[in-house]
Amino acid sequence: MSAESAATNMLRSQVDLLDFIDWSGVECLNYNSSHPLPNAVKQGYREDDGLNLESDADEQLLIYLPFTQVVKLHSIVVKGPEEEGPKTVKLFSNREHMGFSNVNDFPPSDKAVLSSDNLKGHPVVLKFVKFQNVRSLTIFIEDNQTGSEITKVLKIALFGTTVETTDMKGLKKIEDHQH
Amino acid sequence: MINTFKNFSYRSVASIPKLEVTMVLEATMICIDNSEWMRNGDYTPSRFQAQAEAVNLICGAKTQLNPENTVGVMTMAGKGVRVLVTPTSDLGKILACMHGLEIGGEMNLAAGIQVSQLALKHRQNKKQQQRIIVFAGSPIKHDKKLLEMIGKRLKKNSVALDIVNFGEEDDSKTEKLEALLAAVSNNDSSHIVHVPPGPNALSDVLISTPIFTGDGEGGSGFAAAAAAAAAGGVSGYDFGVDPNLDPELALALRVSMEEERARQEAAAKKATEEAGKQENEGEQQSNSQDTTMTDQVIAPVSEADTKKNDMMDEENALLQQALAMSMDDPSSSQDLRDTDMSDAAADDPELALALQLSVQDSTKDSASQSDMSKLLTDQSFVSSILASLPGVDTNDPSVKDMLASMQNQSEVSSLNFIGANRNIPLAWIINLTFFLMLCLC
Repeated sequence: MSAESAATNMLRSQVDLLDFIDWSGVECLNYNSSHPLPNAVKQGYREDDGLNLESDADEQLLIYLPFTQVVKLHSIVVKGPEEEGPKTVKLFSNREHMGFSNVNDFPPSDKAVLSSDNLKGHPVVLKFVKFQNVRSLTIFIEDNQTGSEITKVLKIALFGTTVETTDMKGLKKIEDHQH
Repeated sequence: MINTFKNFSYRSVASIPKLEVTMVLEATMICIDNSEWMRNGDYTPSRFQAQAEAVNLICGAKTQLNPENTVGVMTMAGKGVRVLVTPTSDLGKILACMHGLEIGGEMNLAAGIQVSQLALKHRQNKKQQQRIIVFAGSPIKHDKKLLEMIGKRLKKNSVALDIVNFGEEDDSKTEKLEALLAAVSNNDSSHIVHVPPGPNALSDVLISTPIFTGDGEGGSGFAAAAAAAAAGGVSGYDFGVDPNLDPELALALRVSMEEERARQEAAAKKATEEAGKQENEGEQQSNSQDTTMTDQVIAPVSEADTKKNDMMDEENALLQQALAMSMDDPSSSQDLRDTDMSDAAADDPELALALQLSVQDSTKDSASQSDMSKLLTDQSFVSSILASLPGVDTNDPSVKDMLASMQNQSEVSSLNFIGANRNIPLAWIINLTFFLMLCLC
């Protein structure tokens, strides 16, 4: 996103991908309408611990996030309460319009079992190689820490880099140095 | 024509807020109950027919709300759960599949809903909201737990459910359906309607429910139009004109309606002052709406050309007078009627037709007879006519006899004089003259 982060080493390549989410195509299944998805994802709402995303009929949640451009995903942060926070989280890259019925038909691009440490904000590093060319991300929260009826999510944040921006900036810099 | 419009409730006309409706993009699956229980005739003509009619109306409503809406139909009984047509926006295809449906077997509600869900999942446009409409006419053999689980699954996949509870009634059925609805319900997007057997058709009852009207104001425009269609047997458009095809005409008619109403109120006040007959006001209003060749559905008036307004004023005044005449209202000025009618009718052939229609219809009321007799009983008028004719002496006893006989004759044969308004007095005069000639010769 910014020139500095692209120029520095890959370890610090994490940029908050919040700005690249295409909000018009965002979908969330099985959420409680008084606790919708933006509570966990949008700037400001996600920092507010009073606002959370909650599931409705049962403990599973299916979140679909398309991006405005191709991104590489490095890690995610999922914050939630101790008991009702999510436990098993499966990530699918570039699969559109999944439903609960076919979510287990495909192998996930990555799977994470969240510990209480993660729930406090510690990022989960993903298999970077699987997320090199991500146009959309589907997050499937399968169950929660205690097996309660409702899963609550305080914050979801994605970190990675964008693909095009990095390349262009890189090209520009090389040209400058030559001259 | 007048009678059907009279039955239409004026209240619902006033409640229509606007012509434009919000477009909710939706894919709907309709589950039909074609089990043996549908042979019963407690809904006219039979449960199955009433259901089919309601289904047709719903399909029309959904496709009209948004051209990209799709509707699919499936049966829950018969040989088994079967999808007749997958969600499509082609109304003809949907209606065609309703033909040749056979009644038999038992309804399987759970399987029906599950198959509908599957059909909706494979809809082409994933942006459409999913909705299932179930017609539950037979008793339900599944237990409440199963239905609740089904409901939960629907809610989880954000599928809305509308239930039409009709036909067989027992406590457990209602309880089960309510439980199903409670399990599905999310943001009031799902509804249940109980339709007991009765004189009203199933479709008429459904029209006013949220199943037709949608969740917000979304379908109210169409619902009213559909109601008008059901009442008047006209297509479901305001004023019988598609606003999309001919917006100017629709607008003009709408303005004319508003103007007519304003005129009516003014004329009604005038009528009360002159004749003191207040009970006619209500009748006049409803009748005037009848004869202005429009449906009773009104959209709000947007700004109209002043030129159009002037034309409407003239036409409305004339129409109102035509009505007043047909309504046997003595306050209507008959002289004005004759001249104005002839002028306007000469200018506007459509107006003449309208006037003719109104007059022809009113012959059944025998109102014009009284007008004729009024003309003839007006002694001064008759004598003036006679005096203007050459070779006629009003004091001649034969003339007086003839006049008396003419009066009697007019009541019987006034129908013969009815052609166009402007010709009535002329025809009468010609007849009278002819008769006089015969008498005197």
